[in-house]
Amino acid sequence: MNLQVVFCNYHTAPVAVREKLAFSSPDHLQEAYQELQQTFPESELVVLSTCNRVEVYAAHEGDRHPSHEQLAHFFSEFHNIPVSDFFDDLLAEEGEDAVRHLFRVASSVDSMVLGESQIVNQVKDAYRIAQENNACGILTNTLFQRAIKVSGRVRTETKLSEGRVSVASVAVGDFAKGIFERFDDKTVLVIGAGEMAEETLRYLKEEGARKIIVVNRSTERAEMLAMSWGGEVYPWDQLDECLKRADIVVSTTGATQPILTEDRFRTIRRATGDKQVFLLDLGAPRDISTAVGDIDDNIFLYNIDDLEATCDLNRKQRSREVQKANAIIEEETSLFMQELHHRATGPVVQRLRSQWHEIREEELRRLFNKLSHLTEEDREQIENSVGRVINKLLHPPLETLREESHSGTPEGLVTALKKLFHIHD
Amino acid sequence: MADVTVFCFLASYLVTGVMEVLRLRGKSTINRVVLKGFAFAGIVAHTFYLFNRSQQTNLPPLLSSTHDWLLVLAWLAMVLYLFLTLFDSDLAIGLFLIPIVLVLIGSAYLLQQQPNQLVVSDEILVKEARQGWAMLHASLLVLGMAGGLVALVLGMMYLAQHRRLRQKQTMAEGMTLPSLGRIARLNWWSVVISVPLLTLGMAVGVGLGLSTDGETSLSFTDPVIIAYGVAWLVMIGFFIWLLTTRRSQDRQIASLSIWTFSFLIVSVVVLQIISSKLSISAHGPAQAAIPVESSVEEATP
Repeated sequence: MNLQVVFCNYHTAPVAVREKLAFSSPDHLQEAYQELQQTFPESELVVLSTCNRVEVYAAHEGDRHPSHEQLAHFFSEFHNIPVSDFFDDLLAEEGEDAVRHLFRVASSVDSMVLGESQIVNQVKDAYRIAQENNACGILTNTLFQRAIKVSGRVRTETKLSEGRVSVASVAVGDFAKGIFERFDDKTVLVIGAGEMAEETLRYLKEEGARKIIVVNRSTERAEMLAMSWGGEVYPWDQLDECLKRADIVVSTTGATQPILTEDRFRTIRRATGDKQVFLLDLGAPRDISTAVGDIDDNIFLYNIDDLEATCDLNRKQRSREVQKANAIIEEETSLFMQELHHRATGPVVQRLRSQWHEIREEELRRLFNKLSHLTEEDREQIENSVGRVINKLLHPPLETLREESHSGTPEGLVTALKKLFHIHD
Repeated sequence: MADVTVFCFLASYLVTGVMEVLRLRGKSTINRVVLKGFAFAGIVAHTFYLFNRSQQTNLPPLLSSTHDWLLVLAWLAMVLYLFLTLFDSDLAIGLFLIPIVLVLIGSAYLLQQQPNQLVVSDEILVKEARQGWAMLHASLLVLGMAGGLVALVLGMMYLAQHRRLRQKQTMAEGMTLPSLGRIARLNWWSVVISVPLLTLGMAVGVGLGLSTDGETSLSFTDPVIIAYGVAWLVMIGFFIWLLTTRRSQDRQIASLSIWTFSFLIVSVVVLQIISSKLSISAHGPAQAAIPVESSVEEATP
């Protein structure tokens, strides 16, 4: 029984290589499974493809399994790129190391954003798709189910996933939610249409924000953003009017000077009164003058530096948990390998048991024929007694097999048992 | 359980308070279990103590003495605390509420424990109806004060949350405060509910005092009554301002809640302690009953 993973991830390969090796759509992935199954018909296979990693897990009964080179050639042929373009970035792990690798990936210890929760869902999806393509077997089923359990254990027993680590999630989760009780009656104004604005909008939408206004110098980009999130677009010259309506302002322009100065915002506050307003300045250089935050107590202004401080703190807290997570992963890897090795002795153990129990049945039948005067109760006592003798005799060799499985499949003992007790395959 | 003393639950609540402070150092399951365990044990002891007192005086705790009345208020606060903590164990309410509970119990310790002369004396307590009115008076006051206590705690929570947000600090691990919007809404309602209850309670007390004869009648020149009147006027002033002000001034509402209800609670406790001491010095410890001039106001603030 053998297990291998061939992979490239953000540690080993630049994004240009990962993009080339990725399986970008479900159809693409299905084609990959068809080709893999044709090339390696006796192997169990699971493909995990995300923006940060491309991994192929292969398991095989016996010693033969797809080699690192063979899988590299599969990537090369499937994506139509020369092996030399990526071979150095494509790594491989086998046996226990492959199990540990998957457990680390599923537990998010190996993720770019440590402790992020998305990866376990991606592992679950990869496993589901492999099952749908009939690419899984006993080993990959056990392995992936265990990986999902290990991920759960790491999440509950450590603080690896606690605390937000992205600027947008900290802005909304730690600060905006501390100000507003609800978001469905709040007006969100997005100034600029950058990626950060989009990410912040995602978190605000999750909290229930419905009224979204986008103001951008380029109307085309503003319309795209507004369309994605169900917002309205207003021209740049109506920015002040939009600011008066807004409860939450997210600014991500590329302006070189602050677009929202103290004087400008004072004028706006005179019109709006001192309602609570959350200003999120995600521009670099800053879009909102810091003096705006001092106009009154109901203005809550945050810029990237303010939020990064919280992100850093949370990242450090998560890093401190890596050691605990690794200890769990080591324990689970060792347990999994032990079970795997012990499983390899299963057929021999089963045959040995059934052989001895057949002898028991035969001898008891012979004895009961001779002693026909025995009552039903006497027979039962004798049956139980002989059963116990057999179990006690079997216990030491089976226990030794189990103990030997800790350090790999006990091939020597299995062969000896087969020879000693005439167990045939 | 007959031997339960004030010290038993005061110590339990003190441990709960210490565990609340230790929560600031980080999330701990042991801390949470110990904290809830001691709060629960304290409430059980507190309940037995009030029950025993009620059996001894043959009166409900709200009527027997100011000592018991304050303990009922502290008991209500702790039950609320335990309920909220069980509902949301991350909520940082204990840091604000438990010190007040400890002050209330400490104050109760200083007050006389003898049953109120007004409601135990056969000569004075003529009719059962009178005891019913006294009970209504005490209940309205204790509920009103509990509402005021909640407003005070919410006011402190608002300022703490506001300060955190303005200073751009992240919340301590395992400690959450509700949003400013939610605290402000709850604060507004607790003031709007508690002030009418307190006013009604005081009105019933005044009515009771005026309806008694001779020495037991209410004297409007009694300094205690004047002080209560001033506290009530402050509270009503705040109440009117609250109803007429714009809702965006949440921070001022929170600050004024703190000032008003702190003033009210401190007035009640200090006046009761002073009048209790005066009563002891005037009548001697053996006969230290509530002065009749203060009427039922003395039995319950």
